[in-house]
Amino acid sequence: MDTPSATPASRTFNVPATATSAEGAQTLIEIDNFDFYYGAKQALFDINIRIADKRVTAFIGPSGCGKSTLLRCLNRMNDLIDGTSVKRGSVKIRSIDINGRDVDSIELRKRVGMVFQKSNPFPKSIYENIIYGLRIQGVKSKSRLDEVVEKSLRGAALWDEVKDRLHESGLGLSGGQQQRLCIARTIAVEPEVILMDEPCSALDPIATAKVEELIHELKKQYTIIIVTHSMQQAARCSDQTAFFYMGKLIEFGETRDIFMNPKNPQTEAYVSGRFG
Amino acid sequence: MPPDINTAADTGEPSSKFAIQKKRTRLFGLTLDETIRVFFGGNALVAVIVLALITFFLFREGSQFFGQNRDSLRTYRLAGLEYVDIIRQQEEDHTALTRYLFDIRLKAVVQLTEQGIDAAEINRRLAAFDAFSERYSDTIVPIRGLVFELTEVATDIKTRYNENEDYKVARKNFLAAGMKAEADEITIKDLDFAKEIVAITGTVSAYEQINNEYADALKASVTVLPTLPVASLQPRLERFRELTREYLATFPGRLATLKAWDNNAPVKWTEAFTQFIFGTRWLTASFWQDWYGIIPLFVGSLMISCIALFIAVPLGVGAAIYVNQIASPMEQRLIKPAIEFISAIPSVVLGFFGIAVLGQALRALSQWEALSWVPGFPYSERLNALTAGCLLALIAVPTIFTLAEDAINNVPRAFKEASFALGASRMQTIVRIIVPASLSGIVSAVLLGLGRVMGETMVVLLCAGNRIAIPDFTAGFTAFLQPVHTMTGIIAQEMGEVVRGGIHYRALFVVGLVLFFIALLLNFLAQKIVRKYRISIG
Repeated sequence: MDTPSATPASRTFNVPATATSAEGAQTLIEIDNFDFYYGAKQALFDINIRIADKRVTAFIGPSGCGKSTLLRCLNRMNDLIDGTSVKRGSVKIRSIDINGRDVDSIELRKRVGMVFQKSNPFPKSIYENIIYGLRIQGVKSKSRLDEVVEKSLRGAALWDEVKDRLHESGLGLSGGQQQRLCIARTIAVEPEVILMDEPCSALDPIATAKVEELIHELKKQYTIIIVTHSMQQAARCSDQTAFFYMGKLIEFGETRDIFMNPKNPQTEAYVSGRFG
Repeated sequence: MPPDINTAADTGEPSSKFAIQKKRTRLFGLTLDETIRVFFGGNALVAVIVLALITFFLFREGSQFFGQNRDSLRTYRLAGLEYVDIIRQQEEDHTALTRYLFDIRLKAVVQLTEQGIDAAEINRRLAAFDAFSERYSDTIVPIRGLVFELTEVATDIKTRYNENEDYKVARKNFLAAGMKAEADEITIKDLDFAKEIVAITGTVSAYEQINNEYADALKASVTVLPTLPVASLQPRLERFRELTREYLATFPGRLATLKAWDNNAPVKWTEAFTQFIFGTRWLTASFWQDWYGIIPLFVGSLMISCIALFIAVPLGVGAAIYVNQIASPMEQRLIKPAIEFISAIPSVVLGFFGIAVLGQALRALSQWEALSWVPGFPYSERLNALTAGCLLALIAVPTIFTLAEDAINNVPRAFKEASFALGASRMQTIVRIIVPASLSGIVSAVLLGLGRVMGETMVVLLCAGNRIAIPDFTAGFTAFLQPVHTMTGIIAQEMGEVVRGGIHYRALFVVGLVLFFIALLLNFLAQKIVRKYRISIG
């Protein structure tokens, strides 16, 4: 399960959902006939996708193809933008429609965390950054907070680098460390899904490698969806890959298939670097 | 395209040349770019020069005040006014004590009335007390007489001195104009203060005698205290006796001061400053002595600013947070211009509104039964610090709102998104992320709002009540319901009436200087804080 691209089953799938379930992976997120609009402009067209639990799914595609938009639909971050609307279709996580009437977007975001393109630690200490999510949930116990800080920082492979300066500003860290701090902050609230919106695009290769390593570790516990511009990154760290173009899902499958044996000529053109 | 270039090269057309030279029109030897540069640079320079000139003239006009104030204080001493004031202080202290008695009587009457006793009966029961208080207040009569006589003498000396000084100036003017005959007609009789002052200091032995009699009478009057019909007030009467004894204890010191007093003692430079900066009296055009102490004006300005900020900060910052974080685009389009429009209302109109509507309304509100628990309610002064403060709040709101909104807007969107992505609600995001991140910007907005309020003139002139006195803070918050005067108000009110170059004129300039420095300080602080904020966000 850790390296599904190496499993023989990945070569034979037709419908992604079937393929993952064939491996014994549960489907966590189901997106059906999903249309999404910015005001009058349609951004996503009839998206159908099944995302497996505890695997890494990469969204790739040229700029403006809607991959980030779809990602932000998964924890309803688009609610913050005026004029956005879901016109058709549904996004279900564990069979619950997240755009349903009774869904509290705040509760949703506690379950579906997000890491952004540009690292954005709060102008607070490292410690305060990590426990922010718990503080707003009203956790007061010092021992519990200390425990979570250490666990999250270890989980984000940052503990050894910052354990002596937990109370210094998070803005004093290097770019790569800041991004891992943001990941640690996200896993501190123990979500089920972590959305990563081009998490390495502002990082140097060494920091990128560290984050990718971290993604491998994290997928043991979390379902990860990563938007990336780097084909190599998608190939390196994802199990499944979805290729988007002009707001449409062109092809979705096991990463190995998408890169080695794409079915769609557009996908082939993109992954081989001929456009995008 | 390539063929064209080839052709051009072949035919040797000028277009193939490396044509980077161009003839430019020149104005006074300057190209257009340079002319524009000179124009804008010149404008900036003019602004800087004007500021420098304003500063320079404020200083020039103001700086001479302290010399003149020193002269005024010297005359005060030479002519013996200071001596008389020492004795007068004794008289005033006595008056304060009788006021204490009056206060006790008032409380007694109130309590007895509440018990349902009629006025005649109350007067009968208080007869013993009234006789006591009359005896007490009569003891001062001889001192009062002496003060009265000495006032006459000192005023006379001062008047003659001032007349003589005026003659000197007139004579000098005539001589300067070459009118020798007219100049000679003016006779100057220089005053010999040492001789004149004897008429005042010579009374010291008489004073000593009167004072001893007064002290004895005072002591005698408080040996037996009347019994009050209201037992709960008796301790106050005891306290009164204590105060009288304390008062009596100051007598020997006063006598020593009078004996040691010398009308020729030099007036120090520092005194001219301290009398201004720490002086608690602003008293002008007085027959006796003019005092230019900025404290009552400063306190007035400060009180009004406090009220204004107390109201404007929650309103302005709250509105900024609402508009920037919560409001729908529709609401934003409505609220922002509405608040910004307030600053377009001429302040004289606001002042007029304060007199006609707000002052009246606030007083009516204070007389409302349900609000009688508020300290100081009900009150009768329609124009007071509160009325002016409320209006100034209105003036400060747009400044605070606009700048605070800018500061909040500058908080990176990423912070907000990160907070939401961690499951924070809108309120939690605002309280824990947005406000802390923009706090220094908000603080500097408040400081600039304070600057705006401190400098506002028309509203305070119309609505503050313009009583030049430090409000009585012993009664707590009721001080804010008293009329005050302000630094800006006094300049606007008195500048038109003063003699150019006179001490009063210069005093107003120094008040202006103080305002100038306050504004400078507030702006400096605001800028410093904002700069720090930029660094912290990174």
